[in-house]
Amino acid sequence: MSKTLNLGIFADDISVDNNRDVTLSNLRSDQPMMFRNRIINGDMQIDQRNSGSAISSHSTFVVDRINCALQGGTASGITVQQSSDVPSNSEFKNSIVYTTSTGGSVGSSGTYGVQQRIEGYNFSDFMYGTDYAKRFTLSFWVKSSVTGNYGIGLRNSAKDRSYIATYSISTANTWEYKTITVSGDTNTSATWLSDNGTGLDIFFSLGVGTNHSTTSNSWQTGNLFGLTGGASPVETSGSTWYITGVQLEEGTVATPFEHRPYGTELALCQRYFCKTGQNIFSGRGNTSSAVFGITTPVSMRSVPTIITNGNIVVYDHDSHESSSTDTVTASGSTTPDGFGFRCIVSGVTAPNNRVHAIESEDTMTFSAEL
Amino acid sequence: MYKEIKDDDTLIGIKRLSDRANIPLDPANTDYQEYLAWLAEGNEPEPADEPEQQLIGE
Repeated sequence: MSKTLNLGIFADDISVDNNRDVTLSNLRSDQPMMFRNRIINGDMQIDQRNSGSAISSHSTFVVDRINCALQGGTASGITVQQSSDVPSNSEFKNSIVYTTSTGGSVGSSGTYGVQQRIEGYNFSDFMYGTDYAKRFTLSFWVKSSVTGNYGIGLRNSAKDRSYIATYSISTANTWEYKTITVSGDTNTSATWLSDNGTGLDIFFSLGVGTNHSTTSNSWQTGNLFGLTGGASPVETSGSTWYITGVQLEEGTVATPFEHRPYGTELALCQRYFCKTGQNIFSGRGNTSSAVFGITTPVSMRSVPTIITNGNIVVYDHDSHESSSTDTVTASGSTTPDGFGFRCIVSGVTAPNNRVHAIESEDTMTFSAEL
Repeated sequence: MYKEIKDDDTLIGIKRLSDRANIPLDPANTDYQEYLAWLAEGNEPEPADEPEQQLIGE
């Protein structure tokens, strides 16, 4: 027995046959069902660096892929942290919160906000800098103790093309859902990277000085990422600003937030930052250094910066001597896919001796962030 | 502040002293880009540590 469905205005787009197979007639090839969202970790869930702890330094990542700016003005006691405060009845587990303890003037050069840089490989299909540049829609949940009009700076890698999108907070301390559609930059003289550099830089302003502020809703020349006269919660003591569910997708419609599998999202993050557990590595030594191989979980964006949490202990398997160091660089013959790392140690190894290395603490981190 | 990292007198990286980050000489690495900008402002890194001298029979 078949049922008749009243599909109303969608009748031309959706049909259901007697086998209950559903056919969608007008699926757009340029709006994929998966990987619509070009923002990585937009639900603020993955925090490999801090495990939920607050950061308080400028140009530091609060969660994966979300960098924080907090310098240039007189505000103090600013912290940014992963939070479990999320919109009620929502599918999100986490947000981030930007807290200003003592408010102060932003001045002419203040830079306060949070940012994600989308890699060129993940943005080149938007065809910026051509006559065919595509519109995109940015959607997110936000809650702030300071009402007003906020700016979102969008820039290219060279920081000579800028667009200020805006949204309004009308009620303090209340989660609100925002969607903003942005026209593409069709200026054919503009340079938009399509490689492993920055494709699109997105900056949620929480206070930007007059040197980098401008009017909204048009592409402009210059390094601009704040809204003239826009809200600046860092000027208010005790202010808080939360955000989660950030999505950037092609077109003019904000679709529901795309929840990718956790392992997939983590792998996307690991292209920019990853870390080892406590490991033992085997390699070869010479009289001034020892080289070891490591394979990262995914191909990293560039040859990474390495930070050791404590020293690496290098043992010479042949001489049975050891030395330790925190000077560990990616080897010159490396690629982002997996690479050698070179420990600078002297007086332990003889040429081509077999060596192994142990991390004396718990992690070695690799950063290839934008 | 930065410090050169050398292996057998060859420059192989840069250490950022604030967080002991070991930065590769990769133009696509943003930490290296920041270091080059710092150099362009007229700053100079600290020289690499001298390798320890090992005496024969020591």
